[in-house]
Amino acid sequence: MVIVRNIWIVFAKESIDNLRDRRSLILALVYPVIGALLLGMLVSFVGGMFRGQSYRALSLPVEGADQAPELINFLAAKGVNIRLAPVDPHQAVRDGTADAVLIIPDGHARDFAARRPAGLEMVVNATRLSTVIKVSRVVEILREYGREVGQARLRAHGIEPEIASPLNLHSINVGRSRNLAGFFLNMLPPFIIFTIFVGGVYLAIDTTSGERERGSLEPLLANPVARWEFMLGKALATFAFTLMAVLVQLLAFKIMFEVVAAGEFGIKISPDLTAFMGVALLCLPLIGFAVALQIIVATVSRSYKETQTYLGLLPLIPSLPGMILVFVPVKAQIWMMAIPTFGQILLIGRLMRQEPAAWLNIAVSVGTTSLITALLLYVAARLYNRDQMLFGA
Amino acid sequence: MIEVQGLRKSFNGVEVLRGIDFTARDGEITGLIGPNGAGKTTTLRMLYTVLRPDGGRALVDGHDASLDRLQVQRRIGVLPDNRGLYPRLTAREHVRYFGRLHGLTGAELEARIDRLVDRLGMADFADRRSKGYSKGQTLKVALARALVHEPANVMLDEPTNGLDIASSRAVRDLIREIRDQGRCVLFSSHIMGEVEALCDRIVVISDGLIVADGNPEELRQATGHGNLEEVFLTAVAQGGTVVGAGGDRA
Repeated sequence: MVIVRNIWIVFAKESIDNLRDRRSLILALVYPVIGALLLGMLVSFVGGMFRGQSYRALSLPVEGADQAPELINFLAAKGVNIRLAPVDPHQAVRDGTADAVLIIPDGHARDFAARRPAGLEMVVNATRLSTVIKVSRVVEILREYGREVGQARLRAHGIEPEIASPLNLHSINVGRSRNLAGFFLNMLPPFIIFTIFVGGVYLAIDTTSGERERGSLEPLLANPVARWEFMLGKALATFAFTLMAVLVQLLAFKIMFEVVAAGEFGIKISPDLTAFMGVALLCLPLIGFAVALQIIVATVSRSYKETQTYLGLLPLIPSLPGMILVFVPVKAQIWMMAIPTFGQILLIGRLMRQEPAAWLNIAVSVGTTSLITALLLYVAARLYNRDQMLFGA
Repeated sequence: MIEVQGLRKSFNGVEVLRGIDFTARDGEITGLIGPNGAGKTTTLRMLYTVLRPDGGRALVDGHDASLDRLQVQRRIGVLPDNRGLYPRLTAREHVRYFGRLHGLTGAELEARIDRLVDRLGMADFADRRSKGYSKGQTLKVALARALVHEPANVMLDEPTNGLDIASSRAVRDLIREIRDQGRCVLFSSHIMGEVEALCDRIVVISDGLIVADGNPEELRQATGHGNLEEVFLTAVAQGGTVVGAGGDRA
């Protein structure tokens, strides 16, 4: 009981001390919200972009329109605004002053009249994602025109056009918005992992390197409390602030998804509250892992500045696999669950997409991360016990 | 009671303490005096358990400071070389934190804090956060948190360092008061006048060795100097020769 009491006293002091600190509070309460805001803005922006383009009238600069008056009429009938092409179409598309330019080359009218394949050139910029939908709509209209002309020619020869269409292909779009939502849900794990490694970092620094640099560590250590009790009290305070940051962020994400779903952005998927609670529980061992690492780094660093530098870099490492998984999803394997942060990234992803997660995977992730955390805390306790604790290094 | 027996300590291969012995008794003020870098702070740090000796023993009321840390920590009050405060805590909160770490709680703890605030003249800043405290105010807080549990052994590392005359005198009065309660006071200083005015016993340390040990009168007689400053300089210059009565007391 005395041990618990000591740890509690240290925990309470560090918590109150840091609740009075603007920097600690910003990291725990403001940073996590910024992540959700950024993602929310991104969702609104991309959603708005996709939506806007599918309804807005298409305008298309055309060079050599006099070569193919029928094609131009067809495009106009499909709602395409035909405009005069810029002087240098390639440059214009590259610059982005035009999304795409249709060039009807010189021989087009002659070839068309002679019933040879008549050339058409679409100048596009494939690196500009925002033009993809527009270009594909124009291409679809051009194909349709080509089909109709071809069928008319076959009929003129007394051939049923179906003969030239051995396949009847329909692509069924099961929901653009759903895929898009999935993409954004995949971006949550890296954000959450980042928060886990940043939310309480200021406490880890302040309660160890800071205490040493202020000169308050020496009188503190002369009190009748075991070194590992001090370490654990400080680690718990860091844990509490990190947990606070994670909960704030999850809440912000939940609100963000609700707002986005309510607005007409075409993204309707919002994970329910139990999924968010599952994520919070799943993150508990990982928060412990992050805190233990931070305490170790802060203990062996020579100065406040040095600790700040190392701990500033720390979140980049575990966030990386998550970033990659946003773009290249992998199939979850059981051994991946045993790696702290990696297993959590995969499991958080599943929970957020409302997919079932195997209990074995959860058990392996929670079990191994907890075990590694316990080992790290043991190392931290040993480091606290050294003479060097007083001086750093 | 504080006993030091054959204490040794090296940092990075440099021997800072080369085997020192002395005793600080209850009801006495013992001054540990020596030039800068002589090993005073290192000695105190091993006594108040934040460093471990390489050899020899540091004992407080018979408990070994490196083997029986908690027992020693319960019996000591410490004003270390580093006496930093937490800028976001008030003076009272500092003292309360240390009091609680010594197992004090509730009304008893608050009464002790009130007494120390009163005794050390901290009333006008006791509830203000410590950021911006003067050197004297900082020292008072550091002293209060070292004494809140009324330890039987008090160790003070250069307690009047950097203080003005009034504050220095207040600290000296407090030290005498602790002695008169029958407690053991060990403090380090490099100010001869202060040591002379306060100490029942003087231990001179130089270059990691004890070079003189005795009460002021004994030291004056042994060196033939009337002035303690001369005693000090002679002892340090002779290096390694123990002057005075050693452990014997009249």
